[in-house]
Amino acid sequence: MFCIAAFIVLLFMAAVSARYRRYLAKAASCTFRRVTFRPCDTTFKQDLKDHMLAPLAARRPGLVGPASVALEVVAFLVVLTTIWSGYVVVESAANLYVYGTCNKQDSASCSLGAEACSIPDQTPTFGDSIAAWDIVGAFGNDFVRLGETFSAIPSRMQNWDAKEYLPANATYLNEFDAQKPTALEVIDPGCTYCLQLFENLEEAGFANKQNLSYIAFPIPAPTGYKFPNSLLVTQYLEALRLNPLADAKTPVDWEILKRIYTEKDAAGVSWQSVINSADAVEATALLQDWAAEFGLSQAQVDTVASVAGSDKVAGIIAANKQTVKERIHTVKIPTIIFDGRRHDGLVSVGDLD
Amino acid sequence: MKHNGLFRRATPEPIETDRLADFSYLDPGVVYLDSACQSLRPQPVLDALTEYYTSYNACGGRVKYAWGRRVDDEVAAARQGVLGLLGLSGRHYAVSFTLNTTFGLNLLLQQLPQGRYARVVTSHVEHNSVFLPTMTAAKRLGVPRLVLDRAADGALVYEPAQLERAIVVVNAASNIDGRLLTNLAELVRDAHARGGIVILDAAQSMAHERALLQKTDADAICFSAHKMYSASLGVIVARRELLSSLELSFIGGGMVADVREDSYDLLPNDPGALLEPGLQAWAEIIALRHATDWLGTVRPGGRPPAEHVSALSERLFDGLSDIPGLTMVNAAASPVISVYAPKQDSHRLAVFLSQSGIAARSGYFCAHHYLKERLGLPPLLRFSLGLHSTTADVDRAHDALARLMKGLS
Repeated sequence: MFCIAAFIVLLFMAAVSARYRRYLAKAASCTFRRVTFRPCDTTFKQDLKDHMLAPLAARRPGLVGPASVALEVVAFLVVLTTIWSGYVVVESAANLYVYGTCNKQDSASCSLGAEACSIPDQTPTFGDSIAAWDIVGAFGNDFVRLGETFSAIPSRMQNWDAKEYLPANATYLNEFDAQKPTALEVIDPGCTYCLQLFENLEEAGFANKQNLSYIAFPIPAPTGYKFPNSLLVTQYLEALRLNPLADAKTPVDWEILKRIYTEKDAAGVSWQSVINSADAVEATALLQDWAAEFGLSQAQVDTVASVAGSDKVAGIIAANKQTVKERIHTVKIPTIIFDGRRHDGLVSVGDLD
Repeated sequence: MKHNGLFRRATPEPIETDRLADFSYLDPGVVYLDSACQSLRPQPVLDALTEYYTSYNACGGRVKYAWGRRVDDEVAAARQGVLGLLGLSGRHYAVSFTLNTTFGLNLLLQQLPQGRYARVVTSHVEHNSVFLPTMTAAKRLGVPRLVLDRAADGALVYEPAQLERAIVVVNAASNIDGRLLTNLAELVRDAHARGGIVILDAAQSMAHERALLQKTDADAICFSAHKMYSASLGVIVARRELLSSLELSFIGGGMVADVREDSYDLLPNDPGALLEPGLQAWAEIIALRHATDWLGTVRPGGRPPAEHVSALSERLFDGLSDIPGLTMVNAAASPVISVYAPKQDSHRLAVFLSQSGIAARSGYFCAHHYLKERLGLPPLLRFSLGLHSTTADVDRAHDALARLMKGLS
């Protein structure tokens, strides 16, 4: 173990100083012997330890024994942490490639990927499992997550076609044009990055070049949802899709999304913030008022309100959730599929042009 | 009187010595105790090297300009100085220079004539410089190789019949414990009486145990100048008859008087040149001349060099014998003292001692067969003294090791 630890340390030291390179070759040879289950070069190991312990031996020879044991323990920890670090690097790199975030369990915590609201992984983290003394679970869950990531690599490399993931009752921001390609965004009405994406889409004139549709995905939280009214808004959006307003230039569900993402109340607060901080009654009233404002009669509003709470809408939301998790494999909201690729997180105006 | 197992020794007279002025350049923080590998060089030797390189840096041998003639004179004086140290006559012996003792022994053994000798004889207590070339020589000559014991006093244990037409190659002093070839004269006489020859590895004896070699009748003596206060150089002192009997296979410039398309004439009346193909290490040879002069005149503490080293050896041997946990390999004091601690790794002890400024050697000292295979010993820790050594050095080494052993136990 000491040889391997020495190799790891010397690898870094030799990179900055030629003085250590002659030791590095010895350590490499020793490490190769260890990993092939052969005895290490004990002379090298002893030399290294002795030189490290020599200053102590000159002052307090009685402490050489305990220090020698401590060195072995440190060597063990160095090897252990290096192996774990290597594992984390590989896992993070795979996650970054597949999901656009190095941390699949909390995608927003990874600064290497695009900004987004994360879809949290409900399985316990490694640390949580260790804290609960679930050693098997700690490693098991982590290996399962890594397996999922690797199994999703082929899907990442595929040619993404938004039409394959459209919900059955999809609506488009602008009138559908068969000559234009289709784009699909996965959004949470309460997510601020979805608001920013919508602004970017508008600035880029994206909807004029693509048939833009969406899947509303209320991000779950350990208790309820990350944004309390996201499910309610999603239910109304799906109900409006099931009961479209005839002759509407822009579908009413899109009008509501536009209001949430682009407009502000009289106090200058964005409607998204208002909705996110409102209780269910206030939010429901707002949604119904907006539906009426966008042309629905009171009877139609009542119908939409009724359908929003129906099993049918619940089924649609569940199906959409399944599509997002098992087919699109994204852990970041928003996600938008266009030009044959899946873009996880916020996309800049330039990339949308 | 003190008792130490079977060996009874007299308590040495306490001595106090200062560092010889010729080693005043030595860092006072360092205690160099590896003279068995190579001794430190006294200032006159260093000055001689510098003077050669800065004043007359020429080749020797058939050079007509002044610098070259001076080199020739110095080299001749070096050869004479070596013979003088050994009390040998130039009429019977010639001196050749080479790389080191190992190279010298190989030059002789690998060029001995076929058919003249019936066996190769050596001992278990040999440096690899002897042990290995005797293997290859026996194989080349197609004769058996006999490995004999050495008695505790260093004498080679043999039956006279074992010396019948034998090539005997043994050390005059061990590099492990300094034991001497105490029956050298008897061995040479018995070998010669049966048509054999004796070749000595004198690497460890030339510096401080030269008395053993004085006026020896051995056929060849190989040693290293760098173990006797000179620059790195090997020396072969060999009987002229032995040199003229060699079947030369290692040959080149500096050895010949004339060369034709398919033949050559060796230099006449210069048998020493037969082992000196190519350009020589002129500076080192000249340094040897000054080292032999220095050895002949230096008087540390007003005493002869051997007496000085012997007194320090006794002091070191006694001190080490008293350290608990150490096992002495030496049966008696000598300038080379080896020990080991059954519970401590000798290499580790050497590293730890180095931290305290003590330069001691650890390992098997190129005597793997004897120490590892024959005695089954772990690597040893060796202290070897030189004329630069002082009582303070000895005491510092002893104190550092004693403290280590106490702390590590």
